[in-house]
Amino acid sequence: MSEAAIISVRGVTKQFTGGNRTVTALEDIDLSIRRGEFVSLLGPSGCGKSTLLRILADLTEPTDGTVSLNGKTPGAARTDRDYGMVFQQAGLFEWRTVQRNVELPLQVAGVDKQTRRAKAHEMLDLVRLSDFARHFPWQLSGGMQQRVAIARALSADPEILFMDEPLGALDEMNRERLQGELLRIWSDTRTTVVFVTHSISEAVFLSSRIVVMSARPGRIAASIDVDLPYPRTAATRTTDAFFAKVTEVRTVLHGVPAEQAAR
Amino acid sequence: MSTTQLARGTSPGAGVRTAVGRFLPVVLTALVILGSWQLVVTVFDVPSFIVPAPTGISSAFRAEFGTIMSASVVTVQEVLLGLVLGAVAGVAVALALSRFPGVSGPVLTAAVVINCAPIVALAPIFNNWFGVTNLMSKAGVAAVMVFFPVLVNTTRGLLQVSSLHLEIMQSLAAQPRQVALMLRLPNALPYLFNALKLGSTLAVIGVIVTEYFGGPSNALGVYIAYQAALPRFEFAWAGIAVASALGLLLFGVTSLLERLLMPWHESLHDSDS
Repeated sequence: MSEAAIISVRGVTKQFTGGNRTVTALEDIDLSIRRGEFVSLLGPSGCGKSTLLRILADLTEPTDGTVSLNGKTPGAARTDRDYGMVFQQAGLFEWRTVQRNVELPLQVAGVDKQTRRAKAHEMLDLVRLSDFARHFPWQLSGGMQQRVAIARALSADPEILFMDEPLGALDEMNRERLQGELLRIWSDTRTTVVFVTHSISEAVFLSSRIVVMSARPGRIAASIDVDLPYPRTAATRTTDAFFAKVTEVRTVLHGVPAEQAAR
Repeated sequence: MSTTQLARGTSPGAGVRTAVGRFLPVVLTALVILGSWQLVVTVFDVPSFIVPAPTGISSAFRAEFGTIMSASVVTVQEVLLGLVLGAVAGVAVALALSRFPGVSGPVLTAAVVINCAPIVALAPIFNNWFGVTNLMSKAGVAAVMVFFPVLVNTTRGLLQVSSLHLEIMQSLAAQPRQVALMLRLPNALPYLFNALKLGSTLAVIGVIVTEYFGGPSNALGVYIAYQAALPRFEFAWAGIAVASALGLLLFGVTSLLERLLMPWHESLHDSDS
């Protein structure tokens, strides 16, 4: 595995102009992500973490600065389909079966039907939904829909997976189960993951590194390595090392440890 | 396997029960109405030029079954022709409009305004244009009546695509043609079928009324108008009953098509589970 940066962000600034007011969402962001990392962008609402992800995915343009994905501009990376994306809502096409939803990226890329089908089967195996290939999205629970969305994002074998609060709409139990699934999928596919979240424990459990952001204007406050060993399981959540890391991140995020803040 | 996350299933028994539960009240209501109708006409000795009794209408229907059916065949042809013409034209214009969202707003507003006009009033004009006995004079009115709802609804369906879906297609670097085929068209189908269900009853109205102004001698509207003038009101009412059944049948067929073509459409499923 190469140690070279697969994603590199240099001096990125993003301003939104509405009427005669200009809001700076991101200011002077520098960030490097190595191949195979699982990086979480963590911060309060308004810190621009989603905006940063959308800039990486070429869904919006930076006001200033440069971004390189796989050595290309985000636009070129998008047309080359170097990344897959999962949003907060699954956004499945309700008129397509689960199988055909997973095939969508391949169909758009012009892959022939047989390859498409085989690949979709493989992906549904990966997210453990093979039995539901012929179901329509409305027949699935929210957690299952999100797993289909993950299968869809991965079906074209992207090198990078962008996830914008993908578990945010799920209840706590589903959320924890899917976090476990996600780590398994990550270790199976060796994809580079950039994961946006506002949950500290989620970020600590999943990430190999957490990029903590602060709001108004959005800046990177710290980059914290999470050295808890993989594979992480439900038992990981109860270890002292896990709590210590959560506290460390919380301290950076709020400036004070939780016990002091509670007083 | 995540057995705790069960998919929402439907048992076949529940389907039968809901079907009975849905249709039984309708049948009962119809029977009560027909019964009261019969009772009122008999008890108060209502003359048939005001309202004939259901039994009178029914025997008139049986007496001229052949005539009424052959008249229905002509009328059905006109209705279907009008429905297809109106729907095809409506979808075609909607597709063109959806490519220019800037223009579609004003055009749709104009369409809604025109749709408020009593289009059926065009009946004599169409009879002049195409000739009274030409099927096109009836189908034409029906087509215009179907055209506007289809145009308005389909355009909405093509344009009102979820921004999330659009963004997903964008992240996949989809071509505009792919967005149209894989996203906009399927998104518009439920809108189109709503318009077709409305249009199927409108087409029957358009054709029957236009036939009142004259048409091929063996058409249902002509039959109704002729019998009413004779006056043989039981027979006119029998024709009216068949025309109503026609509208209902067409509505049913369109709904069935909708179910077959859009098995995913959530509003069609019994959401009691």
